[in-house]
This record gives sequence, structure tokens and C-alpha cells, in this order.
Amino acid sequence: MKDIKGIFVLASLFLPLLSAGAFSAQDIAIQAGTILPISNAPIENGTILIKDGKIAALGQNVAVGADARIIDASGKFVMPGMIDAQSRLFVIDSELNESRSIAPELNILDGLDPFVKEAPEVAAQGVTAIYIAPGSRSLIGGSGAVLKLNGSMDVGKMLLKGDIAIKAAIGVSANNESSSLGRLANYSSIREALLETKLYMHNKEKYERELAEYNKKKAEYDKKKKANLAEKVDKPKRPARFRPNPTREVLAKVLSKEIPLQIEAHRVTDILNALSLADEFGFTLILDKCTEGYMVAEEIARRKATVILGPVSTSFIDMPSLEYRNHDIRNAAILSEKGIKLALGVSGRDGASSKFIALTAAMAVGSGMDRDMALRAVTLTPAEILGVADRIGSLDVGKDADIVILSGHPLDTFSQVEMVLIEGKTVFERKDQQ
Amino acid sequence: MKKRRFLSFLVILSICFCLTSSGGEAQVLAIRAGKIWTLTDGVITNGVIIVNNGKIKAVGENVDIPEGAKVLNMSDKNVMPGMIDAHCHIGLSLDILAEMDETVAAVAADMQILDAFNPQAEDVKKALRSGVTTILLAPGYRNPVGGQPAVVKLDTSKANDWVLKRTAGVEFSLMNQALMFDREPTSRTGLVALIKEELDHAKADKDGGFNLPREVLKRVVDANLPAYIWAHTVDEIASAMAIVDEYDLNAVLVAAGQGDEVADMIAKRNLPVIYLPLLLSSKDKDLKRAARIAGSGVKLAFSSMAPKTTLYDLRTSAILAAKYGLDKETALKSLTINAAEILGVADRLGSISEGKDADLVILNGDPLQLTSSVEMVIINGNIVYQRQGE
Repeated sequence: MKDIKGIFVLASLFLPLLSAGAFSAQDIAIQAGTILPISNAPIENGTILIKDGKIAALGQNVAVGADARIIDASGKFVMPGMIDAQSRLFVIDSELNESRSIAPELNILDGLDPFVKEAPEVAAQGVTAIYIAPGSRSLIGGSGAVLKLNGSMDVGKMLLKGDIAIKAAIGVSANNESSSLGRLANYSSIREALLETKLYMHNKEKYERELAEYNKKKAEYDKKKKANLAEKVDKPKRPARFRPNPTREVLAKVLSKEIPLQIEAHRVTDILNALSLADEFGFTLILDKCTEGYMVAEEIARRKATVILGPVSTSFIDMPSLEYRNHDIRNAAILSEKGIKLALGVSGRDGASSKFIALTAAMAVGSGMDRDMALRAVTLTPAEILGVADRIGSLDVGKDADIVILSGHPLDTFSQVEMVLIEGKTVFERKDQQ
Repeated sequence: MKKRRFLSFLVILSICFCLTSSGGEAQVLAIRAGKIWTLTDGVITNGVIIVNNGKIKAVGENVDIPEGAKVLNMSDKNVMPGMIDAHCHIGLSLDILAEMDETVAAVAADMQILDAFNPQAEDVKKALRSGVTTILLAPGYRNPVGGQPAVVKLDTSKANDWVLKRTAGVEFSLMNQALMFDREPTSRTGLVALIKEELDHAKADKDGGFNLPREVLKRVVDANLPAYIWAHTVDEIASAMAIVDEYDLNAVLVAAGQGDEVADMIAKRNLPVIYLPLLLSSKDKDLKRAARIAGSGVKLAFSSMAPKTTLYDLRTSAILAAKYGLDKETALKSLTINAAEILGVADRLGSISEGKDADLVILNGDPLQLTSSVEMVIINGNIVYQRQGE
């Protein structure tokens, strides 16, 4: 009797815990007409099983528990959430830069306004993640971050990954009235900063080596001194103090390939200069914008540089500068045909423009890009370039359940986004017919 | 000797003339098309278009191809009429703002934009690939009474044929940008007063000597010449409508960004609208406006306002308008026949029908899909653009 009572007490203690756990982690099963995993071939009439915000299984034969919530997406298309790799959502200033030309220690996360009205409109078009980088006014302007459009008003909760890349720009400020730096000075100033960083790294290494040596000697000295007070021992000399420099520390991470250098370059000379910097210093290069890339596609392909290209049309920006003079809508098609890893960004006139990412892909197809490559260029490829492909970009087991359900193929302009999930949570659901 | 030389010159000249004219007397062209979007007569599947002498001779499912005709096999393609950009500023110069307006004088009704147009400019040649075959080449919005826009075809390679209307109307601007600090008007009230004053003078027609701007404005108040009135916000549109009412003008609204908020009033006056490019805003609210204006019965045409957006994105405007609620047929008509009607060139352009100019665009898919590309452009029966690899 006593035992039974004990069990009852125990059970009543655990029950709410158990049920609460079960409630927060209810499995979700999306039964889809067509799944576009992006990383693999499309799956007809498949199921995606979501556990704890992650994709637990997908395929035609997925066992679904009786208590799972079923989302009926039969006849619909299901794809990974799209990524705008050239977004300025949450950015208030038209350009986020310090007045200094070399400022890599700045972090874009410190300048964002999460209370932007248009963010839900962007998510409603199937965009689940955005990459925001500093502007192009500084030669080296700070680090960018990938955020999820999960509806949070807290930058920390939206953040998927910070320190994605350090943003640099060659040639852009040559057309900027607020900067006195010409095109020539752009390249050499960035090069100088990297050379100084190299020297800094060398000095720091030397200092650390000397310090280690000193510590060793000092310990010996202390020991000897303690053991034999009579013996005369030279006291080791401490190496001169080394002042850490935040600017150089950040660029050191670039040179040691911990963080890629994302260089915005539009014109052929600037693109070639970016490539030669990468050759000289061996950092991981992301070419940003790459407006005249089609003219030197072979060079870019040979160097295996990755590209975040945008805008697909100059109509997306206000008063295109002379950097865009040779903009060609076929750029994306030409670069991707050469086998260059290429993401498409909207690069729009404002934050809400990120909603045009699917249209951007469709426009790239309209100007000759392969359909599969274009879809990949707004999902998996940006995730890979930005180093977040372990979490997002495709529908694969173990990745975040950031999923878009559409009424038709994503490249069909008239397909409607029906539902958007981020880590299994519904962030948008279309209300009936408009 | 001299005479003989002259005679031989004449002979050579006439031979040349014969050659060019026989060359110009183009062979009959027959286009077999998977889908023909006639715009006035529905969609014809697996049809044929016969082109002779730059004009459409016949179109339909059961059309005989005359012997000796050059046949273009487009049986898996879509054919639509050449698109019309109802407001743009291409072919001027790199520093376009300097050439769009006369910033010193407020009244410039005698200015003809064609005088600043370079038909050989690079952007004109590039624009051909977009599928736009005719444009309203227009001055900007910084003159209260601006210059005269022109209707031109983009096949500017031939000497004469590309100017459809040297004077398509007179531009007026009620936009903020028409105000300047260094010349009158400097205020909204002054702007409206100035326009009215100019129209009053033209109406009174006091024979006070030769005044070129007034001669032109006389035709506007007589409603012989349309007034293209720039107005973006609700209050600017209201001012425009007040002027139209007072002088009984034959008017077209240009830009009309907030036109949906007074769409019924625009519709009541039968004012057509040349709508601004949809890509200028990314907010859902703005993207839905074109559909709302057209939904109230207002006749709509699209514009690229190039270089604000490119001519390639004229079609994008129609597609976005349709995505955000405009019915697809109206969207296509706004790119073609409706634009032709608004610009007063529907007798020659805007649909694929017998007797009209053979200005055609061939696409590899539905014209309202962004994934479809323009593969061939034909103006006056001549192939002026063909995509590489096609």
C-alpha cells in the first residue's frame, strides 16, 4: 500500500514534466506533393519528419508516429527556406560604415534594428535566413552575420552565425563623393593592411615564443633561487610587452583562413585585384557583386573563388553608380556555366527587397541560367559560401527544419508561398484566398 | 564629257536605288508559332503570321503560307506584339539628368526631346534585347510645363522610319521635383498657378506676336494634343485632376504612385495612367497598387522610366502587377495594346492583327513568366535581335 502510494506520488511529479516535454517536441510530418531537397533529386509524394526543430527523416517511406502533427502539402512543392546573401533588412543607414577606411573589428550585429516592419513580408515570401554585411564605403568594413527571420525582436535570438566574413570593397569608394580614395589607392591600402597584419602576426608569434622561453627560464630561476640561495643566478629578462591590436587580430583571422574575406568588386580591374590579393595572401575569397565577372569568368573559375552575385538587374537599385556601367543580365548564367560556385543576392534598394529572392532566381533563369543552379543559388550555395550549410540550405536529415511550402514550383512567378517554418515553428501561413 | 559623267552617275544612282528598293521590298515572311498572343483576338495555338512589307498580312490557325515565303519555325515558342514602354529616357547621354529637363526656364513647351536623342546610343541598341519595340521618349519631371515627348521605334538603324510622333503631347509636372530654389515656382501653390496662367494665356490666344511655347499649348487647350501630367502623391493627382477639369484637357497621368487611393476619381474622368515601374518599391502595399488602379477601370500602361529601371524590367512590372493581383490579360494588354491606345498609335501597334506593323517578340515561354526569355525581336518585319545560340 505504501509502495503504491509512493509510485503515485512519483508519477504525479513526473507526469506534467513528461507531457510538457512531449508537447514542446511534438513531431511534425509534412506530406508533400513534391519535395525539392536541393542537395538531392526531387522526391514525389514524400514525407518530411521534423523532431525538435530538426529534419529527422525524409523520403517516400517515412514512418510517422501516431501523435505527430500532420501538415498536408499534397499537390504542393516543399523546399528549404531561401537565403538572401545580399540583404539589408534591419539595416537603418543606407550604408553601414565607419568613416575610417580600415575598420575590420566592427560587427554588423551592433548596428541592426530588429523592429523593422517589413521583416514578416520578407519571411512570407519564403526567405528564412539573410546575410547582412557592412557597406562598401570603407575599404575593410567589418564582419557580417547570418540571421534567421524567425520573428524574434532580439538580434541574439535571430542570429544563426556571426563573423561570417570580413567585408572589403575595392573600387567602390572611387565613385563615392564622401571618400577621397581613388581606385589605385583602394587596392594598395588593403594590401598594406594585410602586409602589416602579416608583420603583426610574425611579431606576435615571436613575442609568444619569447614569453614561453622567459616563463621557462623564470621558473628555473625561481627554483634555483629557492634551492640554493648562495649560488648566483642571472635573472631572466622579460620580453618587451606586446600590445594586442583589435584591427590586426581580426585580419589575422582572415590570413589564417578562419574567416573569409568578402571583397565587393564590380569592374574587371577590381575583380582581378581581388583575385591577386587572394593569390598573394592565401585567404579564402568571396567575390561580392562581381558586376563585370562575365568578362573574366575563366580567371575567377581558375582561382576557385566563390561569388555572391547581385543585383540580377540594375532596376533593383537607386541611381546605379558607374560601377554598374557594364552590368549584364547574363552575368549569372555565364559565371555558373564556368563552374563557379555562385550565390544570387537581391541587393535591393531597401530591406524589404529581400522578398524578391525567388524572383531574382527566376530572372537569372530568364537570362540563361540553368534552373537547378538558380534554385541552388538562393538556398544551398549561399549556405555553403557563408559556412552555415551544416544548419541550413537544403532538406537533409540533421539540418534545421527551415522549410517553405508553395502552391507550385518556386521558379513559377505565380506560385504562392503557403507556409514557412523555421526550426519547425510556423512563422507564416497564408490566409485563404486574397 | 561632263554631261556624260553626270549621266553615268545618274545611271549608277538609279541602279543603286533599284537595288536598295528591291532589297527593301522584303520577301514575304511566315512565322509558325506555338502560341500567338494577339491581345485583341485571344490566344492562337499553332498559328501562322504572314508578314509582307513590314505589315501583318494575316494571322490565324489556318493561314496558307505563300510560295517563296521565308518561313520562321517557332512552333515551340510564344509570339506577342512588341512591347511599348510608355515613358522612358534612353539615348540621351550618360549624365541623363542634364538632358531631360530645362532647369533654368520653368516653361519649356517648345522643347522637343527628340533633339537630345542619339539613335545610335549604346543603351538604345542594348534595349532591343528586352522585347520593347516602341517607346515614349520623354522629358523629365522638373519643368512645370515641360517639353514634348516623342513616340519612336527602337529600330533606329533606318534613316526615317522610326519616328512615329515627333510631338506626342506636352509634359506637365506637379511633382515636388518641379520646384526649385533658384527659379519660380518655389511652392506647390505657385506651381499650380503657373501652369494655369500658361494655359489661360494659350486659351485667350491673344495675338501678342510669335510665342512658340504658347503655340504648342494652344493645341493642348484645344485638346488636340494630350497633356502628360506627372503626379505621384494623392495631392498631386488631385491638382492634376482639377486642372484637367478646368481646361477640359485630353490628359494622361504619369507615375500615379498613389493613384489607387483616388482610383475612382481617375476612372470617372477617363484618365489613363502611365504607371511607374513596380520595382521602385518592395513593400507589399505598393506592389498591390497597380492592380487596384486597373481594377477601378482605369486604363493602364507600364513604363520603365529608364534609366530608373531598365527596359528589360518593363515586362517585370507587368509580371509583378499580375503577381500582386492584376489580372493577367490586363497585365499583357498594358504592355501592348493599352499602351498603344494611350499613346495614340493603336492604328499601327499593340496587337497582332491584320494591317498592323509587324513588330513582334518571340519568347521561349509564357510572356508573364520571369523565366521566359526574349529570343527574337522583329520590327517592321525585320529581325533586329536574335539571341545567341537560337
